[in-house]
Amino acid sequence: MEHRLAAVAELAGASKKLGGRLVLDKLDLAIRAGEVTALLGPNGAGKTTSVGLLTGRLSPDDGAARLFGLDATRPAARARMGVMLQAAGLPDVMTVREMVTLQSGYYRDARPVADTLELAGIAELADRRCGRLSGGQSRRVQYALAICGRPDLLVLDEPTAAMDRASTRALWATVREAADEGAAVLLTSHDLAEADALADRVLVMNHGRIVADDTPSAIRARVSGSVVRCRTALPTARLTMLPGVRDAEADGTDMRIVTSDAVQTVRMLLQQDEDVQGLRVSDASLEDAIAQLVSEEQRIAA
Amino acid sequence: MSSYALPAGLWRREAMAEITRSRRMPQFLVPTVVTPGAFYALFALALNRSSPEAATVMLAGYGVFAATGPALFGFGAGVAMEREQGLIELKRVSPMPAGAYVAAKLAAAMFTTALAMALIDTTALIAGVHLSILGWVELTAISLASTLPFALLGFGLGMRMSGKGAVAAANALYLGSAILGGLWIPSSMLPGWMRTIGQCVPSYHLNKLAQAVVNPALGSSSPSHAAIVAGMTVALGIWAWTGWRRSAA
Repeated sequence: MEHRLAAVAELAGASKKLGGRLVLDKLDLAIRAGEVTALLGPNGAGKTTSVGLLTGRLSPDDGAARLFGLDATRPAARARMGVMLQAAGLPDVMTVREMVTLQSGYYRDARPVADTLELAGIAELADRRCGRLSGGQSRRVQYALAICGRPDLLVLDEPTAAMDRASTRALWATVREAADEGAAVLLTSHDLAEADALADRVLVMNHGRIVADDTPSAIRARVSGSVVRCRTALPTARLTMLPGVRDAEADGTDMRIVTSDAVQTVRMLLQQDEDVQGLRVSDASLEDAIAQLVSEEQRIAA
Repeated sequence: MSSYALPAGLWRREAMAEITRSRRMPQFLVPTVVTPGAFYALFALALNRSSPEAATVMLAGYGVFAATGPALFGFGAGVAMEREQGLIELKRVSPMPAGAYVAAKLAAAMFTTALAMALIDTTALIAGVHLSILGWVELTAISLASTLPFALLGFGLGMRMSGKGAVAAANALYLGSAILGGLWIPSSMLPGWMRTIGQCVPSYHLNKLAQAVVNPALGSSSPSHAAIVAGMTVALGIWAWTGWRRSAA
């Protein structure tokens, strides 16, 4: 499915080694206008490094990283980008309003400061010093700094970590609005419900490569069926031989078994292991789909 | 292309914000402003039986000393702590050029230096120091210019070390550059090996430039000292720049 949307940010054959390890392996990736793109995958998959290349903080060893058609490391390329990083902090002694005003001054077509404060839900915190904010409040200020310039590319790295429910909902609504107005949004998240709720497109990464690129519903559909979770003494190899089972894998202390026939699978499971604990059966979620995609890719690579 | 151009006044606003930040951190501001003035008052007034001649000679060295504190602590320790808090990360992904960030920190350090100089100059007037208007202007200019090489030195440190490590290193350099540069005790009174090392320190040459202002008889060697300071500043600029690049990768 070929989109006719312009790529706002892209990696073309980008490779990056960090500490002697190949973190990105000839990665191709395009973030397009008007779309919310979620970048998902296990820790160490290369999400942070990809964001680092796309925001110009890192430069690729090989291949190219481009923002608005420019080399991403050039300051001019950042003129129409807003970024909310997990690793970024705020100066303790400056007030929220001072920070938003300063940041707005970096952009040519910034929103009025009062509007930004309102949108990010921090109007009542405007005169508070950043050092006196709670974790969730700081995240909202970071969000305000990302959107104050009406950016054409909005990069959100784990935006709602440490945010309460209401703030999360409000942030989702404004992100959706930004995309509907034509901005490109790149989102990384550990919360797959967030990706499911927001993203038009999900890129699943593993070992520095894209293993899936599709809509959230299409990715979920790849794992039509059910997921059985339980604690069992049976080895993975035995579990994969149960009827209907497509995939079985340890997930913490639990085993996660993807099956097309939950009833048959559970029946045989109980026959083979009478001491099964904590048995649950559910529909496959986006998380299950991604876990399966990643584990399939690992098996092919091995 | 115009949409990529930076808004006007960005550098000025960044500098004003940085100065506001320094003013709101009196725990850092007060010691760097008061220490040089207090030392000068102690040595030039209290221990020297108020000899205006000695107070004039010392004024030159203390003006350079006043610049090293804000530059080493504001940049060195300050930048290392900001890096740990993720403030540099925030700036790095902003449309703001890196130069505006460095220039703003330099402006804040010069602001602090100017406050420290005001205190020293007031003490000098009490001590009976007489200089021409041009002399005062030249000393102030040398003092403010002294901020630059030490700021770059501090910036390079801050990009390479942890906050705590940078504070320790800044302290050592603060004292070391004052002693080896002859800012407190004339270089001629130091042992030979210390005088040799002293020649490698920017404060030694800045001190010579300042001494030539209060004692024009020394002025003949000023161009060579100015050239050495300029060369050292360029080298320290490279050290600062590679540190910035390194911390990005």
